[in-house]
Amino acid sequence: MKRTLPLFLTFVVGMFPIFAFFVPHRAVSNLNQQLDTWLVIVAAFALPLGVVNLVGSNIDKIKRKQRGWPYSVVLIAGLCIMAFYGIVGGEQGFHPYFQYMFVNMVSPLQATMFSLLAFYVASAAYRAFRARNIEATVLLAAAIIVMMGRIPFGDMLTGGKMTPISEWIMTKPNAAAQRGIIIGAALGAASMQIRVILGIERTYLGKGQE
Amino acid sequence: MKVEKLLYIDRRIIYLLVAIGALIPIIRPIGLPVVPTSPVKGLFDKIEGLGPDDAVMISFDYGPSSEPELNPMAAAILRHLFIRRIRVIVVAIFPLGGVSMAIQEVGRVSKEFDLEYGVDFVNLGYKDGGQAPMKAMGVSIQDVFPADVDGRPTRDMPLIQEVKNYEDIDVVISLATGVIGEWWANLINAQFGVDVAVGCTAVSAPKYYAYLRSGQMIGLLGGLKGASEYEKLLIDRYPKARELYARPDEAKRSAMTGMDVQSIVHIIIIAFIIFGNTMYFILRRSQRR
Repeated sequence: MKRTLPLFLTFVVGMFPIFAFFVPHRAVSNLNQQLDTWLVIVAAFALPLGVVNLVGSNIDKIKRKQRGWPYSVVLIAGLCIMAFYGIVGGEQGFHPYFQYMFVNMVSPLQATMFSLLAFYVASAAYRAFRARNIEATVLLAAAIIVMMGRIPFGDMLTGGKMTPISEWIMTKPNAAAQRGIIIGAALGAASMQIRVILGIERTYLGKGQE
Repeated sequence: MKVEKLLYIDRRIIYLLVAIGALIPIIRPIGLPVVPTSPVKGLFDKIEGLGPDDAVMISFDYGPSSEPELNPMAAAILRHLFIRRIRVIVVAIFPLGGVSMAIQEVGRVSKEFDLEYGVDFVNLGYKDGGQAPMKAMGVSIQDVFPADVDGRPTRDMPLIQEVKNYEDIDVVISLATGVIGEWWANLINAQFGVDVAVGCTAVSAPKYYAYLRSGQMIGLLGGLKGASEYEKLLIDRYPKARELYARPDEAKRSAMTGMDVQSIVHIIIIAFIIFGNTMYFILRRSQRR
Protein backbone atom coordinates (compact mmCIF):
# COMPACT_ATOMS: atom_id res chain seq x y z
CA MET A 1 0.00 0.00 0.00
CA LYS A 2 2.86 2.35 0.93
CA ARG A 3 4.22 2.00 -2.60
CA THR A 4 1.08 1.20 -4.61
CA LEU A 5 -0.95 4.25 -3.53
CA PRO A 6 1.69 6.86 -4.56
CA LEU A 7 2.24 5.04 -7.85
CA PHE A 8 -1.51 4.94 -8.51
CA LEU A 9 -1.93 8.64 -7.63
CA THR A 10 1.01 9.58 -9.86
CA PHE A 11 -0.48 7.62 -12.74
CA VAL A 12 -3.95 9.18 -12.40
CA VAL A 13 -2.71 12.75 -11.84
CA GLY A 14 -0.15 12.41 -14.63
CA MET A 15 -2.53 10.91 -17.18
CA PHE A 16 -5.50 13.17 -16.52
CA PRO A 17 -4.08 16.42 -18.03
CA ILE A 18 -3.07 14.44 -21.15
CA PHE A 19 -6.60 13.02 -21.35
CA ALA A 20 -8.10 16.49 -20.79
CA PHE A 21 -5.99 17.93 -23.58
CA PHE A 22 -7.64 15.59 -26.10
CA VAL A 23 -11.16 15.55 -24.59
CA PRO A 24 -12.59 19.09 -24.54
CA HIS A 25 -15.70 18.13 -22.51
CA ARG A 26 -16.82 20.67 -19.87
CA ALA A 27 -16.71 18.19 -16.97
CA VAL A 28 -13.22 17.02 -17.90
CA SER A 29 -12.04 20.59 -18.40
CA ASN A 30 -13.47 21.69 -15.01
CA LEU A 31 -11.73 18.86 -13.21
CA ASN A 32 -8.49 19.66 -15.02
CA GLN A 33 -8.77 23.30 -13.91
CA GLN A 34 -9.29 22.07 -10.36
CA LEU A 35 -6.10 20.03 -10.67
CA ASP A 36 -4.21 23.16 -11.79
CA THR A 37 -5.45 25.00 -8.68
CA TRP A 38 -4.30 22.12 -6.46
CA LEU A 39 -0.96 22.18 -8.24
CA VAL A 40 -0.36 25.77 -7.05
CA ILE A 41 -1.01 24.66 -3.45
CA VAL A 42 1.06 21.47 -3.71
CA ALA A 43 3.95 23.35 -5.37
CA ALA A 44 3.98 25.83 -2.46
CA PHE A 45 4.84 22.95 -0.12
CA ALA A 46 8.20 22.57 -1.89
CA LEU A 47 9.28 25.82 -0.21
CA PRO A 48 9.02 24.69 3.47
CA LEU A 49 10.53 21.36 2.40
CA GLY A 50 13.56 23.24 1.07
CA VAL A 51 13.80 25.33 4.24
CA VAL A 52 13.70 22.24 6.48
CA ASN A 53 16.41 20.60 4.39
CA LEU A 54 18.61 23.73 4.39
CA VAL A 55 18.26 24.30 8.15
CA GLY A 56 18.85 20.61 8.92
CA SER A 57 22.05 20.34 6.88
CA ASN A 58 23.45 23.62 8.27
CA ILE A 59 22.66 22.77 11.90
CA ASP A 60 24.45 19.49 11.32
CA LYS A 61 27.45 21.42 9.97
CA ILE A 62 27.51 23.68 13.03
CA LYS A 63 27.23 20.75 15.44
CA ARG A 64 30.16 18.96 13.80
CA LYS A 65 32.14 22.23 13.57
CA GLN A 66 32.87 21.48 9.95
CA ARG A 67 35.00 23.85 7.85
CA GLY A 68 33.20 27.14 7.29
CA TRP A 69 30.59 26.49 10.04
CA PRO A 70 30.37 30.20 11.04
CA TYR A 71 28.87 30.85 7.58
CA SER A 72 26.11 28.37 8.44
CA VAL A 73 25.36 30.42 11.59
CA VAL A 74 25.07 33.57 9.44
CA LEU A 75 22.85 31.70 6.98
CA ILE A 76 20.45 30.42 9.66
CA ALA A 77 20.37 33.80 11.43
CA GLY A 78 19.64 35.56 8.12
CA LEU A 79 16.94 33.05 7.26
CA CYS A 80 15.26 33.37 10.66
CA ILE A 81 15.36 37.18 10.75
CA MET A 82 14.10 37.61 7.18
CA ALA A 83 11.42 34.94 7.69
CA PHE A 84 10.29 36.56 10.97
CA TYR A 85 9.76 39.98 9.40
CA GLY A 86 8.29 38.33 6.34
CA ILE A 87 5.70 36.46 8.40
CA VAL A 88 4.75 39.36 10.68
CA GLY A 89 4.59 41.74 7.72
CA GLY A 90 1.37 40.44 6.20
CA GLU A 91 0.38 38.29 3.26
CA GLN A 92 3.16 39.35 0.90
CA GLY A 93 5.67 39.94 3.68
CA PHE A 94 6.50 43.62 3.40
CA HIS A 95 7.28 44.72 6.89
CA PRO A 96 9.41 47.89 6.60
CA TYR A 97 12.42 46.04 8.11
CA PHE A 98 12.00 43.20 5.60
CA GLN A 99 12.09 45.61 2.66
CA TYR A 100 14.94 47.56 4.32
CA MET A 101 17.07 44.41 4.63
CA PHE A 102 16.22 43.36 1.09
CA VAL A 103 17.08 46.72 -0.47
CA ASN A 104 20.17 47.44 1.64
CA MET A 105 21.65 43.98 2.20
CA VAL A 106 20.37 41.29 -0.18
CA SER A 107 20.27 43.53 -3.23
CA PRO A 108 23.81 45.03 -2.98
CA LEU A 109 25.31 41.64 -2.05
CA GLN A 110 23.78 39.89 -5.06
CA ALA A 111 24.62 42.79 -7.38
CA THR A 112 28.24 42.69 -6.16
CA MET A 113 28.51 38.95 -6.76
CA PHE A 114 27.19 39.37 -10.30
CA SER A 115 29.36 42.42 -11.03
CA LEU A 116 32.51 40.48 -10.14
CA LEU A 117 31.80 38.27 -13.16
CA ALA A 118 33.04 41.04 -15.49
CA PHE A 119 36.50 40.79 -13.91
CA TYR A 120 36.60 37.00 -13.93
CA VAL A 121 35.32 36.84 -17.52
CA ALA A 122 38.04 39.26 -18.66
CA SER A 123 40.74 37.23 -16.92
CA ALA A 124 39.37 33.86 -18.09
CA ALA A 125 38.94 35.09 -21.69
CA TYR A 126 42.57 36.24 -21.74
CA ARG A 127 43.88 32.94 -20.40
CA ALA A 128 41.61 30.35 -22.02
CA PHE A 129 40.29 31.79 -25.29
CA ARG A 130 42.99 30.50 -27.66
CA ALA A 131 42.77 29.70 -31.38
CA ARG A 132 44.32 26.26 -30.82
CA ASN A 133 42.43 24.50 -33.65
CA ILE A 134 39.83 25.22 -36.36
CA GLU A 135 36.81 24.74 -34.05
CA ALA A 136 38.27 27.04 -31.40
CA THR A 137 39.12 29.62 -34.07
CA VAL A 138 35.53 29.61 -35.42
CA LEU A 139 34.20 29.99 -31.86
CA LEU A 140 36.66 32.78 -31.16
CA ALA A 141 35.77 34.68 -34.35
CA ALA A 142 32.02 34.31 -33.67
CA ALA A 143 32.49 35.49 -30.06
CA ILE A 144 34.43 38.58 -31.10
CA ILE A 145 31.86 39.47 -33.80
CA VAL A 146 28.94 39.03 -31.37
CA MET A 147 30.75 41.03 -28.68
CA MET A 148 31.45 43.82 -31.15
CA GLY A 149 27.87 43.63 -32.36
CA ARG A 150 26.64 44.20 -28.81
CA ILE A 151 28.37 47.59 -28.55
CA PRO A 152 28.09 50.79 -30.61
CA PHE A 153 31.86 50.74 -31.30
CA GLY A 154 31.40 47.74 -33.59
CA ASP A 155 29.14 49.66 -35.96
CA MET A 156 31.28 52.79 -35.72
CA LEU A 157 34.35 50.85 -36.83
CA THR A 158 32.64 48.92 -39.66
CA GLY A 159 30.18 51.49 -40.97
CA GLY A 160 27.11 49.79 -39.48
CA LYS A 161 27.95 46.26 -40.65
CA MET A 162 28.68 44.64 -37.30
CA THR A 163 25.12 44.59 -35.88
CA PRO A 164 23.60 42.82 -38.96
CA ILE A 165 26.42 40.23 -38.98
CA SER A 166 26.04 39.69 -35.23
CA GLU A 167 22.24 39.38 -35.58
CA TRP A 168 22.73 36.86 -38.41
CA ILE A 169 24.93 34.71 -36.14
CA MET A 170 22.30 34.89 -33.39
CA THR A 171 19.25 34.23 -35.57
CA LYS A 172 20.72 31.54 -37.86
CA PRO A 173 23.56 29.32 -36.54
CA ASN A 174 22.87 30.12 -32.88
CA ALA A 175 19.09 29.63 -33.15
CA ALA A 176 19.61 26.34 -35.03
CA ALA A 177 21.94 25.00 -32.34
CA GLN A 178 19.69 26.25 -29.53
CA ARG A 179 16.68 24.60 -31.18
CA GLY A 180 18.53 21.28 -31.23
CA ILE A 181 19.39 21.61 -27.54
CA ILE A 182 15.81 22.61 -26.62
CA ILE A 183 14.22 19.76 -28.59
CA GLY A 184 16.70 17.27 -27.13
CA ALA A 185 16.03 18.47 -23.58
CA ALA A 186 12.25 18.43 -24.17
CA LEU A 187 12.35 14.86 -25.50
CA GLY A 188 14.44 13.84 -22.48
CA ALA A 189 11.97 15.50 -20.10
CA ALA A 190 8.99 13.90 -21.86
CA SER A 191 10.52 10.43 -21.69
CA MET A 192 11.31 10.96 -18.00
CA GLN A 193 7.71 12.04 -17.35
CA ILE A 194 6.38 8.93 -19.12
CA ARG A 195 8.69 6.78 -16.99
CA VAL A 196 7.39 8.47 -13.81
CA ILE A 197 3.71 8.22 -14.86
CA LEU A 198 4.06 4.54 -15.76
CA GLY A 199 5.90 3.80 -12.52
CA ILE A 200 9.16 2.77 -14.20
CA GLU A 201 11.07 5.61 -12.54
CA ARG A 202 10.46 5.38 -8.78
CA THR A 203 13.36 7.22 -7.16
CA TYR A 204 10.99 9.99 -6.02
CA LEU A 205 9.43 7.49 -3.60
CA GLY A 206 12.57 7.59 -1.48
CA LYS A 207 15.19 5.08 -0.39
CA GLY A 208 14.05 1.48 -0.14
CA GLN A 209 10.77 2.14 -1.99
CA GLU A 210 12.13 1.97 -5.56
CA MET B 1 60.80 34.37 -21.84
CA LYS B 2 59.40 37.89 -22.14
CA VAL B 3 56.52 36.56 -24.28
CA GLU B 4 55.81 33.83 -21.74
CA LYS B 5 55.64 36.45 -18.99
CA LEU B 6 53.13 38.45 -21.01
CA LEU B 7 51.10 35.33 -21.72
CA TYR B 8 50.75 34.66 -17.98
CA ILE B 9 50.22 38.30 -17.01
CA ASP B 10 49.16 38.90 -13.39
CA ARG B 11 45.37 38.80 -13.26
CA ARG B 12 45.31 41.84 -10.98
CA ILE B 13 46.51 43.95 -13.92
CA ILE B 14 43.51 42.70 -15.94
CA TYR B 15 41.18 43.48 -13.02
CA LEU B 16 42.65 46.97 -12.70
CA LEU B 17 42.22 47.74 -16.40
CA VAL B 18 38.60 46.47 -16.35
CA ALA B 19 37.91 48.61 -13.26
CA ILE B 20 39.38 51.72 -14.92
CA GLY B 21 37.43 50.95 -18.10
CA ALA B 22 34.21 50.67 -16.11
CA LEU B 23 34.84 53.80 -14.02
CA ILE B 24 35.71 56.30 -16.76
CA PRO B 25 32.32 56.26 -18.56
CA ILE B 26 30.52 56.44 -15.21
CA ILE B 27 32.44 59.61 -14.28
CA ARG B 28 32.36 61.05 -17.80
CA PRO B 29 29.59 59.55 -20.00
CA ILE B 30 30.50 59.17 -23.67
CA GLY B 31 26.98 58.96 -25.15
CA LEU B 32 27.65 56.36 -27.84
CA PRO B 33 24.94 55.98 -30.52
CA VAL B 34 22.44 53.12 -30.19
CA VAL B 35 20.88 51.38 -33.21
CA PRO B 36 17.63 49.44 -32.53
CA THR B 37 17.47 45.87 -33.84
CA SER B 38 14.43 43.91 -35.08
CA PRO B 39 13.88 41.72 -31.96
CA VAL B 40 13.49 44.90 -29.88
CA LYS B 41 11.38 46.64 -32.52
CA GLY B 42 9.09 43.58 -32.50
CA LEU B 43 7.90 44.34 -28.96
CA PHE B 44 7.95 48.12 -29.42
CA ASP B 45 5.76 47.92 -32.54
CA LYS B 46 3.36 45.52 -30.86
CA ILE B 47 2.84 47.97 -27.98
CA GLU B 48 2.50 50.82 -30.47
CA GLY B 49 -0.47 48.94 -31.93
CA LEU B 50 -2.26 48.75 -28.55
CA GLY B 51 -4.49 51.32 -26.89
CA PRO B 52 -6.36 52.12 -23.64
CA ASP B 53 -8.78 49.20 -24.08
CA ASP B 54 -5.92 46.70 -24.16
CA ALA B 55 -4.09 45.02 -21.31
CA VAL B 56 -0.52 43.83 -20.89
CA MET B 57 0.85 41.52 -18.21
CA ILE B 58 4.41 42.07 -17.00
CA SER B 59 6.02 39.30 -15.02
CA PHE B 60 9.01 40.27 -12.86
CA ASP B 61 11.00 37.06 -13.05
CA TYR B 62 14.36 38.33 -11.84
CA GLY B 63 16.19 39.24 -8.68
CA PRO B 64 18.84 41.76 -7.61
CA SER B 65 21.64 39.86 -9.38
CA SER B 66 20.12 40.84 -12.76
CA GLU B 67 18.93 44.27 -11.60
CA PRO B 68 21.47 46.38 -13.56
CA GLU B 69 20.39 44.82 -16.87
CA LEU B 70 16.68 44.29 -16.29
CA ASN B 71 15.61 47.33 -14.24
CA PRO B 72 16.21 49.77 -17.15
CA MET B 73 14.20 47.39 -19.36
CA ALA B 74 11.32 47.31 -16.87
CA ALA B 75 11.33 51.10 -16.56
CA ALA B 76 11.36 51.66 -20.35
CA ILE B 77 8.55 49.17 -21.04
CA LEU B 78 6.41 50.48 -18.16
CA ARG B 79 6.88 54.06 -19.39
CA HIS B 80 5.87 53.04 -22.90
CA LEU B 81 2.72 51.32 -21.60
CA PHE B 82 1.79 54.18 -19.27
CA ILE B 83 2.36 56.83 -21.95
CA ARG B 84 -0.01 54.92 -24.24
CA ARG B 85 -2.49 54.45 -21.34
CA ILE B 86 -2.43 50.68 -21.76
CA ARG B 87 -3.62 48.80 -18.69
CA VAL B 88 -0.87 46.88 -16.88
CA ILE B 89 -1.07 43.80 -14.65
CA VAL B 90 2.15 43.09 -12.76
CA VAL B 91 2.98 39.67 -11.33
CA ALA B 92 6.16 38.01 -10.02
CA ILE B 93 7.01 34.34 -10.46
CA PHE B 94 10.72 34.44 -9.51
CA PRO B 95 11.12 33.62 -5.81
CA LEU B 96 14.40 35.40 -5.04
CA GLY B 97 13.26 39.01 -5.10
CA GLY B 98 10.97 39.27 -8.12
CA VAL B 99 8.24 40.93 -6.10
CA SER B 100 10.66 43.43 -4.52
CA MET B 101 11.92 44.38 -7.98
CA ALA B 102 8.29 44.85 -9.07
CA ILE B 103 7.44 47.04 -6.07
CA GLN B 104 10.56 49.15 -6.63
CA GLU B 105 10.18 49.70 -10.39
CA VAL B 106 6.38 49.89 -10.68
CA GLY B 107 6.25 52.17 -7.63
CA ARG B 108 8.88 54.52 -9.06
CA VAL B 109 7.66 54.66 -12.67
CA SER B 110 3.91 54.84 -11.92
CA LYS B 111 4.48 58.06 -9.91
CA GLU B 112 5.63 59.78 -13.12
CA PHE B 113 2.11 59.46 -14.57
CA ASP B 114 -1.41 60.33 -13.52
CA LEU B 115 -2.68 56.78 -12.96
CA GLU B 116 -5.33 55.15 -10.82
CA TYR B 117 -4.33 51.98 -9.00
CA GLY B 118 -6.67 49.06 -9.69
CA VAL B 119 -7.96 50.74 -12.84
CA ASP B 120 -4.87 51.58 -14.91
CA PHE B 121 -2.46 49.17 -13.28
CA VAL B 122 -2.21 46.66 -10.49
CA ASN B 123 0.65 44.87 -8.77
CA LEU B 124 -0.52 41.37 -7.83
CA GLY B 125 2.74 40.35 -6.15
CA TYR B 126 4.41 36.96 -5.97
CA LYS B 127 2.93 33.52 -6.37
CA ASP B 128 4.93 30.39 -5.62
CA GLY B 129 4.85 27.30 -7.83
CA GLY B 130 6.41 28.45 -11.11
CA GLN B 131 4.46 26.91 -13.99
CA ALA B 132 1.45 26.10 -11.82
CA PRO B 133 0.20 29.69 -11.25
CA MET B 134 1.20 30.62 -14.81
CA LYS B 135 -1.05 27.90 -16.18
CA ALA B 136 -3.84 28.56 -13.68
CA MET B 137 -4.03 32.23 -14.76
CA GLY B 138 -5.28 30.92 -18.10
CA VAL B 139 -8.53 30.14 -16.29
CA SER B 140 -8.75 32.95 -13.76
CA ILE B 141 -6.22 35.56 -12.67
CA GLN B 142 -8.42 36.45 -9.71
CA ASP B 143 -8.39 32.85 -8.42
CA VAL B 144 -4.59 32.75 -8.50
CA PHE B 145 -4.24 36.22 -6.96
CA PRO B 146 -7.22 36.79 -4.63
CA ALA B 147 -5.24 39.68 -3.08
CA ASP B 148 -2.74 42.17 -4.49
CA VAL B 149 0.76 42.85 -3.23
CA ASP B 150 -0.57 44.84 -0.25
CA GLY B 151 -3.24 42.29 0.62
CA ARG B 152 -6.15 44.23 -0.90
CA PRO B 153 -8.83 41.95 -2.42
CA THR B 154 -8.57 41.90 -6.21
CA ARG B 155 -12.26 41.10 -6.75
CA ASP B 156 -13.06 44.77 -6.03
CA MET B 157 -10.61 46.08 -8.64
CA PRO B 158 -12.13 47.14 -11.99
CA LEU B 159 -9.01 46.02 -13.86
CA ILE B 160 -9.18 42.45 -12.53
CA GLN B 161 -12.96 42.36 -13.04
CA GLU B 162 -12.44 43.17 -16.73
CA VAL B 163 -9.25 41.20 -17.38
CA LYS B 164 -10.20 37.70 -16.32
CA ASN B 165 -7.56 35.51 -17.95
CA TYR B 166 -5.11 35.36 -20.87
CA GLU B 167 -7.98 35.82 -23.34
CA ASP B 168 -8.23 39.44 -22.18
CA ILE B 169 -4.48 40.04 -22.30
CA ASP B 170 -2.75 41.22 -25.48
CA VAL B 171 0.88 40.59 -24.56
CA VAL B 172 2.71 38.93 -21.69
CA ILE B 173 6.17 40.40 -21.09
CA SER B 174 8.50 38.39 -18.93
CA LEU B 175 11.57 40.14 -17.55
CA ALA B 176 13.45 37.00 -16.81
CA THR B 177 16.55 35.49 -15.42
CA GLY B 178 16.97 31.73 -15.73
CA VAL B 179 14.31 29.51 -17.20
CA ILE B 180 11.05 31.36 -16.40
CA GLY B 181 11.04 33.34 -19.65
CA GLU B 182 11.15 30.04 -21.55
CA TRP B 183 8.08 28.80 -19.64
CA TRP B 184 6.09 31.82 -20.80
CA ALA B 185 7.07 31.07 -24.41
CA ASN B 186 6.72 27.29 -24.47
CA LEU B 187 3.82 26.91 -22.05
CA ILE B 188 1.66 30.05 -22.10
CA ASN B 189 2.14 30.99 -25.76
CA ALA B 190 1.79 27.39 -26.92
CA GLN B 191 -1.27 26.52 -24.80
CA PHE B 192 -3.15 29.82 -24.64
CA GLY B 193 -1.96 31.56 -27.83
CA VAL B 194 -1.19 34.85 -26.07
CA ASP B 195 1.72 36.87 -27.51
CA VAL B 196 4.86 36.62 -25.39
CA ALA B 197 7.95 38.84 -25.31
CA VAL B 198 10.98 38.33 -23.10
CA GLY B 199 13.52 40.73 -21.67
CA CYS B 200 16.50 38.80 -20.36
CA THR B 201 20.14 39.13 -19.36
CA ALA B 202 22.64 39.16 -22.23
CA VAL B 203 24.00 35.79 -21.17
CA SER B 204 20.54 34.16 -21.55
CA ALA B 205 19.65 35.87 -24.83
CA PRO B 206 21.04 33.24 -27.27
CA LYS B 207 18.57 30.53 -26.19
CA TYR B 208 15.58 32.83 -26.75
CA TYR B 209 16.42 33.33 -30.44
CA ALA B 210 15.07 29.82 -31.11
CA TYR B 211 11.66 30.85 -29.67
CA LEU B 212 11.78 34.15 -31.52
CA ARG B 213 12.48 32.44 -34.85
CA SER B 214 9.72 29.89 -34.33
CA GLY B 215 7.17 32.66 -33.70
CA GLN B 216 6.60 31.70 -30.05
CA MET B 217 7.86 35.14 -29.07
CA ILE B 218 7.08 38.48 -30.69
CA GLY B 219 10.05 40.34 -29.26
CA LEU B 220 13.29 39.95 -27.37
CA LEU B 221 15.29 42.43 -25.35
CA GLY B 222 18.72 40.96 -24.69
CA GLY B 223 20.67 42.51 -21.84
CA LEU B 224 21.61 46.12 -21.45
CA LYS B 225 21.81 46.56 -25.23
CA GLY B 226 18.19 45.49 -25.64
CA ALA B 227 17.17 47.92 -22.90
CA SER B 228 19.14 50.78 -24.46
CA GLU B 229 17.56 50.10 -27.87
CA TYR B 230 14.10 50.23 -26.30
CA GLU B 231 14.96 53.52 -24.55
CA LYS B 232 16.19 54.94 -27.87
CA LEU B 233 12.94 53.97 -29.65
CA LEU B 234 10.92 55.47 -26.80
CA ILE B 235 12.88 58.72 -26.65
CA ASP B 236 12.70 59.19 -30.42
CA ARG B 237 8.94 58.60 -30.45
CA TYR B 238 7.67 60.39 -27.31
CA PRO B 239 8.68 63.87 -26.03
CA LYS B 240 7.45 62.86 -22.55
CA ALA B 241 10.01 60.01 -22.53
CA ARG B 242 12.72 62.41 -23.70
CA GLU B 243 11.88 64.66 -20.73
CA LEU B 244 11.98 61.77 -18.28
CA TYR B 245 15.34 60.42 -19.47
CA ALA B 246 16.83 63.94 -19.49
CA ARG B 247 16.45 64.14 -15.69
CA PRO B 248 19.92 63.63 -14.09
CA ASP B 249 18.75 60.81 -11.77
CA GLU B 250 17.10 58.94 -14.66
CA ALA B 251 20.01 59.55 -17.02
CA LYS B 252 22.27 57.85 -14.47
CA ARG B 253 19.95 54.84 -14.27
CA SER B 254 19.38 54.55 -18.01
CA ALA B 255 20.64 51.64 -20.11
CA MET B 256 22.12 54.07 -22.65
CA THR B 257 24.52 55.32 -19.96
CA GLY B 258 25.25 51.73 -18.98
CA MET B 259 26.07 50.93 -22.59
CA ASP B 260 29.08 53.25 -22.41
CA VAL B 261 30.49 51.11 -19.59
CA GLN B 262 29.66 47.88 -21.40
CA SER B 263 31.27 49.16 -24.60
CA ILE B 264 34.57 50.02 -22.93
CA VAL B 265 34.71 46.75 -20.98
CA HIS B 266 33.92 44.73 -24.14
CA ILE B 267 36.72 46.53 -25.98
CA ILE B 268 39.13 45.73 -23.12
CA ILE B 269 38.13 42.05 -23.15
CA ILE B 270 38.46 41.82 -26.96
CA ALA B 271 41.84 43.56 -26.77
CA PHE B 272 43.00 41.05 -24.16
CA ILE B 273 41.78 38.11 -26.27
CA ILE B 274 43.63 39.40 -29.36
CA PHE B 275 46.73 40.20 -27.32
CA GLY B 276 46.68 36.79 -25.62
CA ASN B 277 46.35 34.97 -28.94
CA THR B 278 49.15 37.02 -30.52
CA MET B 279 51.46 36.12 -27.62
CA TYR B 280 50.35 32.49 -27.88
CA PHE B 281 51.28 32.30 -31.58
CA ILE B 282 54.60 34.08 -31.08
CA LEU B 283 55.48 31.66 -28.30
CA ARG B 284 54.40 28.62 -30.36
CA ARG B 285 56.48 29.75 -33.34
CA SER B 286 59.58 30.32 -31.18
CA GLN B 287 59.12 26.90 -29.53
CA ARG B 288 58.94 25.21 -32.98
CA ARG B 289 62.19 26.86 -34.01
